[in-house]
Amino acid sequence: MKKLRCIMLIDDNPDDNFFHQRVIKKADAAEVVIAENSGMGALEYLKLKKDHPQEHPDLIFLDINMPGMNGWEFLEEYEKLDKDLQSRVIIVMLTTSENPDDRMKAMNIVPEFRTKPLTKEMLEEIINKYF
Amino acid sequence: MEQKQIKHTELTFQLIVESSPNAIVLVNKEGKIAYVNNQTEKLFGYTKVELVGQLVEMLIPTRYSENHPGFRNTFFTSPKVRSMGVGRELFALRKDNTEFPIEIGLNPIVTVDGTMVLASIIDITERKKAEERFRLVVESAPNAMVLVNHEGIITLINRQTETLFGYERIELVGKKIEILLPERFSKHHPEHRTSFFRTPQTRSMGAGRNLFARKKDGSEIQVEIGLNPIDAVEGQLVLVSIIDITDRKKAEERFRLVVESAPNAMILVNHEGVINLINKQTEILFGYERSELIGKKLEILLPERFSNQHSTHRNDFFKKPQTRSMGKGRDLFAKRKDGTEVQVEIGLNPIETAEGQLVLASIIDITERKIQEMILKKQVELETKNKELEQFAYVASHDLQEPLRTVSNYMQIFEEDYLAHLDDDARKYIHSVNNATKRMSTLVKALLDFSRLGRNSKLAHVDCNELIDNVVSDLQTLIKRTNSIIHVAEMPSLNLYEVEIGQLFQNLISNAIKFQEKNSTPEVHIYSKNVNGKWQFSVRDNGIGITPAHFERIFDIFQRLHATAEYEGSGIGLANCKRIVELHQGEIWVESTLGKGATFNFTIPPLTI
Repeated sequence: MKKLRCIMLIDDNPDDNFFHQRVIKKADAAEVVIAENSGMGALEYLKLKKDHPQEHPDLIFLDINMPGMNGWEFLEEYEKLDKDLQSRVIIVMLTTSENPDDRMKAMNIVPEFRTKPLTKEMLEEIINKYF
Repeated sequence: MEQKQIKHTELTFQLIVESSPNAIVLVNKEGKIAYVNNQTEKLFGYTKVELVGQLVEMLIPTRYSENHPGFRNTFFTSPKVRSMGVGRELFALRKDNTEFPIEIGLNPIVTVDGTMVLASIIDITERKKAEERFRLVVESAPNAMVLVNHEGIITLINRQTETLFGYERIELVGKKIEILLPERFSKHHPEHRTSFFRTPQTRSMGAGRNLFARKKDGSEIQVEIGLNPIDAVEGQLVLVSIIDITDRKKAEERFRLVVESAPNAMILVNHEGVINLINKQTEILFGYERSELIGKKLEILLPERFSNQHSTHRNDFFKKPQTRSMGKGRDLFAKRKDGTEVQVEIGLNPIETAEGQLVLASIIDITERKIQEMILKKQVELETKNKELEQFAYVASHDLQEPLRTVSNYMQIFEEDYLAHLDDDARKYIHSVNNATKRMSTLVKALLDFSRLGRNSKLAHVDCNELIDNVVSDLQTLIKRTNSIIHVAEMPSLNLYEVEIGQLFQNLISNAIKFQEKNSTPEVHIYSKNVNGKWQFSVRDNGIGITPAHFERIFDIFQRLHATAEYEGSGIGLANCKRIVELHQGEIWVESTLGKGATFNFTIPPLTI
């Protein structure tokens, strides 16, 4: 498995962020893990790429059920970003949502849809597939 | 003395003659005018001097005067009082050569100068005009009119009569009126006629009876007849006005048939609220015989609490009659013969008839509908409740999943980082917590599945042979491990929710394999048959069986009969099965004897895609 430079987690649940961060680190899948607890925070971070060019995410795990800006609304804003700010980023949905409507919606927007929790196996599979 | 007496008589005669309103002309045997009165001067424009001594023919138009001496002579051969020229029209000639119609009465008089004739002449110009006017009025009447004298002889008909009866005028005038009656009526007609002339007054004929007339071709028409007595010079006459109501009667009959064949009760009521007509459905709805209702006030069909105000409502309706439903917004009730009430809906239709304004009330028994409406309302409520419950189950299971995952995540971290530092007891506890967490996760997932059953699926035509093949191959691991034998009989193809039915069979087959005595060989039979158009599927096992007390309970959610240690399960499998069968509007039940296996049956009715 290739080691990525940076993976971003967007989830309002700090426990999930903590656990997923730990899974990524244990699997040694990335140099840096950025954990954002809101879509707004994540967008701000992406827009400031020039401040930390080495820590721009190659891969983002996005939660759907978040208060305020939810995952879908984040995606709308994300699409408006400069390609440069988006580039090399693959979005993978990471949620407990088993709602078939959500699943259909996700499939139309993002290449991957996965159910929480993130595991080492899942991570390997995704990185091998896209990097 | 005798001379004086004669003089006196002459004077009296002269006075009488002069005071007569008619022209009076005295003519002798030779046809010479012996005397005329003042009226004669006025009427003819001659002076007495110009007339007396002249032949009477000077007062007659030339076309008649030639034959007149002959008539005159005939009169004198047998002189008697009579009117002149019966049946002929008579005319007189004035000095100025104009003619005018007259009537003449002839009286022979014996005088000293021999027998003379006293002609009394009436100018009938005005009467002729009046008669002509009358004739024109009759002629222009829109319906057939026949003038009949007291002997029943037709003296006048109009064009409409010709049209209606198919006779020419000439064929009817002078004939007895009975020519226009069907034979079965003509026999007694003269009696009716006589009784009319005894007390002649304007009235309609045969009130309440159906009247018929006969045409020239023998066919009959239904008629309505008005009788008007007319005093004429010829004596008492009756002007008969005849209306052909055959079409109206036909229309009435059609109307009656339409009403009779209506699928709901219909009642025809007049402005006084008297029932005029009802149909069979009315008899059925209210339990009355036709004869018990016709002629009665409509209030007989109303509960007392409404009947008081009904006449007011009725009057309001007749003031402004229009098609509308009755008592909009109010609940209407009607009363049956047995006193029971029935909730109704009433439509009102004003109908103009010969008998005046009527209203046709169309009554629908809505008791059944009201019950249906209530059931439907309850059903909608229930569906809403069900939806809410589904939504609740979905949200609850979804939200429960999240903290549960956090617990199991931290348990994983704990095991990874600290298990090595723990003693055996602690490890056992951690193991138990892990098991409980997994089990809870299974339950929550099951609940989620249960709440979502059939939500996004569509009916499809499914070959159940293939469907069960797939289910059995999905269960291969379990079947191999338990050495189970599965027998599948020939299966039908029908419309189903494919995924759900797959789950159903999977549940039933795995239950059949699971609930077995240890070390026994599970044997499962799957078969189907058509019962009254529905397919009945059965899954029979040779397992531990179920006691009848539990036959119902096993289909409830989270109901388990066995300890987890003995037989694993979420307790939701059969609840799912039941929901899936209900989704197909079918039924599911179990037949079993404890220790002797169980058979799960379910039915699927024909479903339209």
